[in-house]
Amino acid sequence: MRSLSSRSSARVLLVGVGGLGCPAALALQRAGVGLIGLCDDDVVERSNLHRQIVFGEADVGAPKVAVAAAALRRQGLGLTVREHACRLLPENALGLVSEYDIVLEGSDNFATKFLASDACRLAGVPIVHASAIRWIGTAFAVGAAGAPCYRCLFEDMPHESAPNCDEAGVMGPVAGVVAAAQVDLALAWLDGVPVGGNLVSYDGREDRLRCHRVEPRADCALCSGVRRIHGLDASAYVSTDCSS
Amino acid sequence: METIVRIPTPLRTLTGGADEVTAAGGTVGEVIENLEKSHPGIRERLLDDKGVRRFVNIYVGEEDVRFLDGLKTALKAGDQISIVPAIAGG
Repeated sequence: MRSLSSRSSARVLLVGVGGLGCPAALALQRAGVGLIGLCDDDVVERSNLHRQIVFGEADVGAPKVAVAAAALRRQGLGLTVREHACRLLPENALGLVSEYDIVLEGSDNFATKFLASDACRLAGVPIVHASAIRWIGTAFAVGAAGAPCYRCLFEDMPHESAPNCDEAGVMGPVAGVVAAAQVDLALAWLDGVPVGGNLVSYDGREDRLRCHRVEPRADCALCSGVRRIHGLDASAYVSTDCSS
Repeated sequence: METIVRIPTPLRTLTGGADEVTAAGGTVGEVIENLEKSHPGIRERLLDDKGVRRFVNIYVGEEDVRFLDGLKTALKAGDQISIVPAIAGG
C-alpha cells in the first residue's frame, strides 16, 4: 500500500473540469497527489457556478483549465498542475493518458467517455469514470488490466433515450458526492486496493449510496478475447454534446 | 409476488415522479411487462428487440441480470430491482 507521502509521486489526469472535476481536483490535492493534469476546452459559464466550486463570478468567460490551475496553485501543498486546454480527441487521447498513472473522467458527453475508456485500455492506464445528472450519479473504476471496462458496463454510445443534461441539469451536491466517490476509488487504486469493477451509484433524493460489482462482458468490443477495438477511429466518437 | 423496482431519475417522468414502484412477476421480464401496463413507455426505455438495452443495466440486489439469467432471472421475496442507465453529465 502506498503511504500518503508516496502519493506525491502520483500523476493524475482529470478529463473534464466541471461539476465533477472541480471537487475531484481539490480532494486529490488535499490527499497529497503530486501532479494533476487538467483537460478541458470549455470556458466558465454562470450556470456552472452552483456546482463547479473552484470558479467564481469573476471567472465567467475565462478558460476553465487556466482558472482551475491558478486556484489549485494558490493552495500550494506541493502540487504540480499541468494545463491541457483542449478537448480529449482521438488524435491526442493516447498521448495524453499515457503521461499519467490514472485518469479521472468526469466529462459531460458520451463521446468523450467512450474515447477516454478506449484510450486508457489501449494505453494500459487505469481510469475512474464518473457522471451525474439531476439527482443521480455513478462512479466506476477500471483497473490497469482494463477489464471489466466501461464498454462491459455500457456497450456503446446511446443514440436514443439517453438523459440529456442540457435539459435535466445537475444538482450541485450530487456532483460533489459522486466526485468524492470517484476520488475515493482513485486513491484506493493508488494505494494498491483492487477496486477495478466497482460501480458506485448515488441517488441524492434518498441519500442512497450503492455499490455494484460489474463483471467482464464475454464479447466486450474493448477488453474481451474477441475485442474489435484496436485503435481510436475518430468516426466512432461522435455524440451530442451535453454541456451545461 | 410484488417486487420493488427502484426508478432512476431520468425514468421518473414515466412513473409520475415515483422513485420506487412495485410490480408483480416471477421473473425480471415479467415484472417489466407488468410495469409497462401501469407505466406505459417504460418497457421501451429498458428493452429493445435483443433484450436489455446496451446502455442500461438492470440489477437484482447487487447482481447484474446479464450475469444471472437475463430477463428470465427468477425473483424471490424481498428482492429489489435497480436500474442503472448510462448518463453523461458533470
